[in-house]
Amino acid sequence: MARLTGIRSETVPATQPDAILRGLAAAGRLAPIVLLALAWEALAASGTVTPFQLPRFSAVLTRIWTDAIADDLALNTALTLYRALVGFGIAAVAGILIGVGMSRYGVVRWLLDPIVSVGFPMPKIAFLPVMMLWLGVYDLSKIAMVVLDAIFPVITGTIAGIAGVDRQLLWSARNIGATEREVLWQIVLPAASPQIMTGLQVALPIALIVAVVAEMLMGGYGLGGAMVQASRFADSRGVFAGIVEIAVVGYVLVKAMALVRRRLLIWHQEAEAPSTL
Amino acid sequence: MGGRVEEHNPGNSGSQIVIEGVNHLYRPPKGRPLLALENVSLEVRPREFLALLGPSGCGKSTLLYLIGGFLPTERGSILLDGASISGPGPDRGIVFQHFALFPWKTVRGNVLYGLKKMGLGRDEREKRAQAFIDLVGLTGFEDSYPSQLSGGMKQRTAIARTLAIDPKILLMDEPFGALDAQTRHLMQSELLGIWRRSPKTVIFVTHDVQEAVHLADRVAVMTARPGRIKTIVNIGLDKGDPGITKSKAFIDTVDAIWGLVREEAIKAQGARVSS
Amino acid sequence: MSVLLRHLPLVLMAIAWEMATRMGLVSQLALPPLSQVVLAWIEMLKSGELVANGTSSLWRAGAGLGLAIAVGAALGLAMAWWRPVNAALGPLVEMLYPVPKSALIPVTVLWLGFGDGSKILLIFLGCMLPVTLGTFNGARGSDYALVWSARSLGANRLSVLWDVVLPSALPEMLNAIRTALALAFILLVSAELIVAREGLGYLIGYLGANGTYDAMFAVVLTVAFLGFAADRAYQALMQRLLIWRD
Repeated sequence: MARLTGIRSETVPATQPDAILRGLAAAGRLAPIVLLALAWEALAASGTVTPFQLPRFSAVLTRIWTDAIADDLALNTALTLYRALVGFGIAAVAGILIGVGMSRYGVVRWLLDPIVSVGFPMPKIAFLPVMMLWLGVYDLSKIAMVVLDAIFPVITGTIAGIAGVDRQLLWSARNIGATEREVLWQIVLPAASPQIMTGLQVALPIALIVAVVAEMLMGGYGLGGAMVQASRFADSRGVFAGIVEIAVVGYVLVKAMALVRRRLLIWHQEAEAPSTL
Repeated sequence: MGGRVEEHNPGNSGSQIVIEGVNHLYRPPKGRPLLALENVSLEVRPREFLALLGPSGCGKSTLLYLIGGFLPTERGSILLDGASISGPGPDRGIVFQHFALFPWKTVRGNVLYGLKKMGLGRDEREKRAQAFIDLVGLTGFEDSYPSQLSGGMKQRTAIARTLAIDPKILLMDEPFGALDAQTRHLMQSELLGIWRRSPKTVIFVTHDVQEAVHLADRVAVMTARPGRIKTIVNIGLDKGDPGITKSKAFIDTVDAIWGLVREEAIKAQGARVSS
Repeated sequence: MSVLLRHLPLVLMAIAWEMATRMGLVSQLALPPLSQVVLAWIEMLKSGELVANGTSSLWRAGAGLGLAIAVGAALGLAMAWWRPVNAALGPLVEMLYPVPKSALIPVTVLWLGFGDGSKILLIFLGCMLPVTLGTFNGARGSDYALVWSARSLGANRLSVLWDVVLPSALPEMLNAIRTALALAFILLVSAELIVAREGLGYLIGYLGANGTYDAMFAVVLTVAFLGFAADRAYQALMQRLLIWRD
């Protein structure tokens, strides 16, 4: 290999059978996780930090396992997911409706525009105590908080998607005699769906985070509540277990969303895929 | 025909740059490696204007980048004044087709860059920068950003920037390719004017035969990939003559060289369709 | 004039708020009239409560964000420039990126207690990765012709990093910092609501627990406005820094 003089030289990829390559790639993706786990275990066992500051990875795993057996894990996870997903669902439907409304009716646009643009960069989590005041400390206030936070990216995604619809597409459709409703459902929304989908993909992790934070503040059951409880009892294993659990849930949700996107937008991807020539 | 074909004669002791037996393998991120240059040998004389001419993909830019030290010479050797090339440096200035100006710097900022690297004092730098900005005709635009300039103005800035550090060799990679036809002709005349005032070795890559014949002392015609030097033509025309491009000698030269290039262009097309 | 017209709905909302509460359409307990909220706000300003807690909050957010930007950008640049660094850290960054940052609230408290330290650490950890990713992507997109031009103008490899790669990365990096800024506020408020003894988030919780809802609303609006104002101010800064773009 020649000495580099400021430019990285290209490497020749190996030509191997497809299946082996894919297997290696999957293993490659797991490698950093495995390495991280090993490093965690090593660091914790080395004695440079106290078991309180960094419990061993194996201890945390054991803790997750015991929680799972005791059904606590399932309960907490289910509750948090319930709040996050219900909130997300409402935010999705309402957000798309509002986005469509704002795109179509100038008055609605004028009315809601400042609210959306001012509200977007606000830390809406500051309204959590207000929600508690109005809606109590059970599911309703948590779900409401999730909706408040998650709705914004859906609205902006919908507006952007609709704004980007090819005008000629609309004209052709109307020319053929499609009604406004048909145009909306069969042309506008499908054409806008990539960006709407992106908005939803941004909103989902937000929904999870807000649900967790709301639980942390209000206590009770749920992954957030359990974590805050653990920290009050200086139960560091419980706290780390919580981080791992939430991380896994978050990861699963994001991957699921990506899968949904691929399925729903398969036509979009093919339109974007390079030709095989 | 107004030009004379000369034989390769490596080992000519008057040369500034000696390229010998250079091969270059291009390794794309996906797919198999390609031989871009095969056994290229060439000599460049001091202060001559040499054009590298050939069809797309013949490796002329690659050869330029090797001389510039941006790509490592893996097989063969490139010597500048007897010493081997080991990386880019201010002795070989380069001008790119798409200007490569630092978009976050003004015209003055761009021209000052190389001067700062040279370690010149502040007053000296400012004076020199202004001199070269004036030389390329951009007086008054010192504080403009590249995004505010036209293509021709951007290229003038790029040329000023490179000339300001007074490199031994000027490498130009199809510098007028991104400009419209009128600007291109204008820039060609201006480049000639600048070059004649302060002669430097120029290695000029182009696929435009007319441009090559107009500007160069010698034209090295390259083959289709893998590129090698097909022929070197001596252009014995008077570049100072403003009507030269209409003279019979000029037209005949262009014609003859175009014949050489066309063969290679056809080969290059054929290769593309079948690969 | 058009600015006024654009923000008119907000003014209308404010008027509606005042009227609805005064007329008894909405319980004054749940939603104190706007005028009362404003008065409470002025009170807290005069008493120094607002300023003291505000400074505490802003200091934490600023410090955490500053660290996140410095370390995150350096990391992103290093990953873009040196292959081994990218190979080692890239998968790690990708893996840790989607972890919900607020899950770190309890652990930072575990480590550093209820004071400034835990908030600064939280914001640092939470905001670093977006900056790293943005800087990395921006740096990767550097035009090789710019790098080569710099080299042939006499820059050595390290200079190129500072002179070419970093400025090339600037647009994407600045965008990522904008996201990090919003995230910093969110993490700050969340942490202060849950585990703090001072700060604006704490103040909100305290006032709410005490039943002084007009003051609570005042602080909530203050926080919301600070987040909004910070974003707008940052946008203006971005425009100035990127003035060279078309």
